[in-house]
Amino acid sequence: MSGLILTLKKELKVPLDASIISPTNLAGKTMDEVKNLELWEGNKKVKINEIFHVEGENKEEDLTIKLVGDFSKARGLGFKMSGGKLVIEGNAGLRLGEKMKGGLIKVSGNAGSWVGSEMTGGIIEIEGDAGDFIGAGYRGGRRGMRGGKIIVKGDCGVEAGAWMINGIIKVYGNAGIFPGIHMKGGTIFIKGNCEGRAGAEMKDGKIVILGFLPSVLPSFDIDDIKDSVKVEEEKISGPFYLFTGDLNEDGIGKLYVSINSNPQLKFWEEFLERVI
Amino acid sequence: MEKIINNVVCTVCGCCCDDLEVKVKDGKIVEVKNACAVSLSKFQNYNGKERIVKPLIKENGEFKECDLKEAIEKASKILAEAKYPLIYGLSLTSTEAIGKAVELAEALGGVIDNTTSVCHGPSLIGVHDVGLVTCTLGEVKNRADLIIYWGSNPIFSHPRHLTRYTVFSRGKFRRERGERKLVVVDVRKTATAKLADIFIQVTPNQDYELISALRMAVKGEEIYLNEVAGVPTSKIEELADLMISCEFGILFFGLGLTMSLGKSRNIDAALSLVRDLNERTKFLIMPMRGHYNVTGANEVIAWQTGYPFAVDFSQGYPRYNPGETTTIELLTRGECDAALIVGSDPIAHFPVSAVKHLMKIPVITIDPHRSATTLISTVVIPTVITGIEAEGTVYRMDGVPLECKKLVEPPLGLKSDEEIINEILVNVKKLKE
Amino acid sequence: MSEILIKNGFVFDPLNNINGEKMDIFIKDGKIVEKVSSKAKVIDASNMVVMPGGVDIHSHIAGSKVNAGRVLRPEDHVKDFEVKTKVTRSGVGYSVPSTFTTGYRYAKMGYTTVFEPATPPLKTRHTHEELRDIPIIDKGCFALLGNNWFIMEYLKEDKLEECAAYVSWLLNAIKGYAIKIVNPGGTEAWGWGKGISHLDEEVPYFNVTPKEIVRWLCKINNILNLPHPIHVHTNNLGKPGNYVTTIETMDAVKDLSKNGEASIHVTHVQFNGFAGTSWLNLASGAPEIADYINKNAHVEIDIGQVTFSDTTTMTADGPFQYILYLLSREKWVNADVEAETGAGVVPFRYKKSNYVNAIQWGIGLELALLVKDPWKIHMTTDHPNGGPFTHYPKVIAWLMSKKAREKTLNKINKNAKRRLDLPGIDREYTLYEIAIITRAATAKSLGLKNKGHLGVGADADVAIYNLNYKSLDPSKDYKLIKKAFKQTAYTIKDGEIVAKNGEIIASSKGKIYWVNSKVAEDIQESMLNNLKMKFEEYYTVKMENYIINESYLHKSFMLNVQSEV
Repeated sequence: MSGLILTLKKELKVPLDASIISPTNLAGKTMDEVKNLELWEGNKKVKINEIFHVEGENKEEDLTIKLVGDFSKARGLGFKMSGGKLVIEGNAGLRLGEKMKGGLIKVSGNAGSWVGSEMTGGIIEIEGDAGDFIGAGYRGGRRGMRGGKIIVKGDCGVEAGAWMINGIIKVYGNAGIFPGIHMKGGTIFIKGNCEGRAGAEMKDGKIVILGFLPSVLPSFDIDDIKDSVKVEEEKISGPFYLFTGDLNEDGIGKLYVSINSNPQLKFWEEFLERVI
Repeated sequence: MEKIINNVVCTVCGCCCDDLEVKVKDGKIVEVKNACAVSLSKFQNYNGKERIVKPLIKENGEFKECDLKEAIEKASKILAEAKYPLIYGLSLTSTEAIGKAVELAEALGGVIDNTTSVCHGPSLIGVHDVGLVTCTLGEVKNRADLIIYWGSNPIFSHPRHLTRYTVFSRGKFRRERGERKLVVVDVRKTATAKLADIFIQVTPNQDYELISALRMAVKGEEIYLNEVAGVPTSKIEELADLMISCEFGILFFGLGLTMSLGKSRNIDAALSLVRDLNERTKFLIMPMRGHYNVTGANEVIAWQTGYPFAVDFSQGYPRYNPGETTTIELLTRGECDAALIVGSDPIAHFPVSAVKHLMKIPVITIDPHRSATTLISTVVIPTVITGIEAEGTVYRMDGVPLECKKLVEPPLGLKSDEEIINEILVNVKKLKE
Repeated sequence: MSEILIKNGFVFDPLNNINGEKMDIFIKDGKIVEKVSSKAKVIDASNMVVMPGGVDIHSHIAGSKVNAGRVLRPEDHVKDFEVKTKVTRSGVGYSVPSTFTTGYRYAKMGYTTVFEPATPPLKTRHTHEELRDIPIIDKGCFALLGNNWFIMEYLKEDKLEECAAYVSWLLNAIKGYAIKIVNPGGTEAWGWGKGISHLDEEVPYFNVTPKEIVRWLCKINNILNLPHPIHVHTNNLGKPGNYVTTIETMDAVKDLSKNGEASIHVTHVQFNGFAGTSWLNLASGAPEIADYINKNAHVEIDIGQVTFSDTTTMTADGPFQYILYLLSREKWVNADVEAETGAGVVPFRYKKSNYVNAIQWGIGLELALLVKDPWKIHMTTDHPNGGPFTHYPKVIAWLMSKKAREKTLNKINKNAKRRLDLPGIDREYTLYEIAIITRAATAKSLGLKNKGHLGVGADADVAIYNLNYKSLDPSKDYKLIKKAFKQTAYTIKDGEIVAKNGEIIASSKGKIYWVNSKVAEDIQESMLNNLKMKFEEYYTVKMENYIINESYLHKSFMLNVQSEV
């Protein structure tokens, strides 16, 4: 492949602020310029070539950067990127793809918390697990991702899509508690199990859970039984219980829960008649 | 020579009772009036065999006594050379000392955090998203006719809370116990629950569900389920009615909410519940802050940096993100390369994953007493006890600031946290030039 | 000590009637003097404007509710931060800056004295801890007394002298500077979740009225000879039609003016200058209020200008803040204080496209432009309620240039533009008048004899602005005005250069001003005896622990006043 390859020279001990590492930032720079870019390693400023071997060739546009090594302590990789590809062969640290606008990030290993925080476009694909707060936002900001797509092939932690406004989150493994908390729009798809409290305090948006969900919050109403639901353009077969809520926030969000995976939710069916 | 010092501020829990009467005879505290059992225990035992009186430096796995200058120089060198040092603890000292610690963290380019991280951090995180409808404790004393303790057992944790501020207090508008109702929500019938007019037993880790149902009931929405979190719906509706129809209600909450499943979102829900209740009546909420100056630590760190705890100065300005800059997570990810612990015992209290890393890095501890943390430290600097041997400002759990008095002289040669941290700061600044 | 000679600047010193005269200013040992030696450092202020350092009479910079605002809004700080330098501490800004940043930013703008206008007495130790951590500027704080239980009870029992002794004792105890009244009676009603909507409505249980509270405290202010008039945030803040309450409140103390001086300072009048009956037909009540002020000598105001930004509202008006929460569904902090007062914090964004916000913007400017005597006007944004104090240059530009106003008028909600009188107002403030409303009048109102002017004996607090007064046409060059007032060429504090071209080059500790009023010993003693019993019944702290020692203030400036009793 053509593009830049950055290989970690040594094990990261203290956190690395890696927010300058994105195709948008590095595109068009000479190799020397790239090597001399500065980043924070803990409280010290270091140059790229002190931390990485830099190989390959640069491009003006549509640059691909491959990162090789364990980046678990590298924070903010792909920060604000608007195009190109960032490929991480290894694990990625916190805030991967924070404020991303476009382009593609791929991680072969796991990613830390806050994947795609406040992103507005682009695609992030994690082969392994992701941490907490994927697609969420900054504390107190009350707004999460507004566009783009996050795909986690493994599990994710708690509060996926917290305060989400728009976009897609797909988790093929299991999800921790509170997916879609305070959600205002967008779609969260969980193929595996969810530990609970799905859609808590949501105002709008869609959550689809194919696996086991121990219970549904008392502030949700059961609306209907649906044969299928659309996630992006794909039709996912059910049948599903369709819940709406969170009524504590006057929410009209939709929570689709697989009927086959959740016999313990059968008692909700008796409340179907009560809904007018 | 005997003297009685009145109006002494107790420096144990977040009640910060300021009516203690301390009798000092020949430079020693011989009697304390009005103190609860926990407070009395501090006064009686603070100068026991665990007291450290000489600075220690560990060489070849053994502690050697040294003078203060040497200890400070060694500590300064360790911290100044670190690329991501951590300062932690700080809830058991004055705001003046904590302010100095902030200055040190900034000079070091490190992280400053306090015990909020393991206690009411979730409460502050909840506040960031929802806000906080609260008051000072005197408002409760004077006006409250409904008092709820949720996940908090003040009879053990804040022994005089009920007498000084809530159900057993005497206020301008509520003179007798009978004028107030006490509700306790907890996972078991605690000592406080035994005093309650209503006790609600919640299934462990289902507080969020219960609050969710309570919010529904307050809103007048129907709860379909017969039972939520182990509590019959009828009882939930009863509690909601009680809350709506009171004149002035207050919800105190403790670690039962902050540290059970859901953490900051449990608080988010409780804050939202109380906020929404204000459409029907006067209702407030207050976290039961534990240590006597954990509130003060948040206050001073916030006014100096903008953020209440977990502040990262590594890039020359304050950055904050709980989960990223908080102590447990930093240690679990193995990211700090040196630590200064002030008045806390993380080795004894932290999760194993955090302890493991703390034992790998050089640790400097400032503490009056021996502890598991001093045992593994490289440098140990003894200090005086705030509120007994040194004055200082502290903040009660409701944000009311009080000044502690100096009651007796400290053991010879001991300096206060503020002085020690300042000396480290001076040294660090020189080293960094 | 060090001497400075500021040479050839165009000096604006309204308290000494100096209006743009080219003259030298001499500084020695931190004071303005008549002359200096040849060893003096010379600052060449040619083609620059020299003014006394700014004196901000009302800005929420320190204390419990300000800090609650900081904790509430990490997202406010993350977008605006200051990296530490050799001279300065790091910090964060935007609408609720951290303490170090607050001091530096004011100094960069040429302000050298700022007052925190609302401190709850019980928590004032907190206010002082924060004030101590605000570098460079001199400061003080006003004590919230308008909902104080003891005062309401003294009022009910008509014990004027004893109440005066109590207020004197309290100001001394908490090291406060002035009497602040916020929503008199209303915040106490809010203690029960209730409100008060007119001046003659009785406060539950205490059975006194807002009008009575305001008059009572005005009388006490006179008795104690306090340097600043009662500082009043009137009832019904933020309610359509409230300009009527504002005028009624002003009128309530007309007969209490001493020697024709102001008997009341009404604060952030913009928020209390609404005409109309609902949000849909909200209009400006500024013409009516201005008319009243023009006809009455006993009133002075500060405007509380809206500057169209994302900001954080914070006041001791608990019930108003709740209403704002209901309107905006933003985050909401409420903090009632036992026996005294309350507080509320709600983030808010003022939008040009929003009809109500646009009217609000118009009201503030109309107030300043329609009141004829600039000595009655103080320029504020009620930081951060109307906007952060760093937006003051915008306000100055709007006041000095009709063109600047028109530019904004063309961007605001069109219905609001039609509704306001502002488009038809031609008046433009002169630099002399700006000097009045940002330093001379405010210092005079506060009774700070050595501030706000550059006469011999004044504190050497000086702001030198990069404005070529002679070649300036402020009406056209409003952008230059904004630029100049954003950062001084030099800011001098106590005779030391602290800021130069937007950079802090030296830091220092400012003084904390407080008023030490003395009443007759026997009255004081009798008051204290009666107070002790009630004190511990109402409060949850001991009286001894309520008192703040002067040494706490680190750099204290005690202003002695002699009372009439």
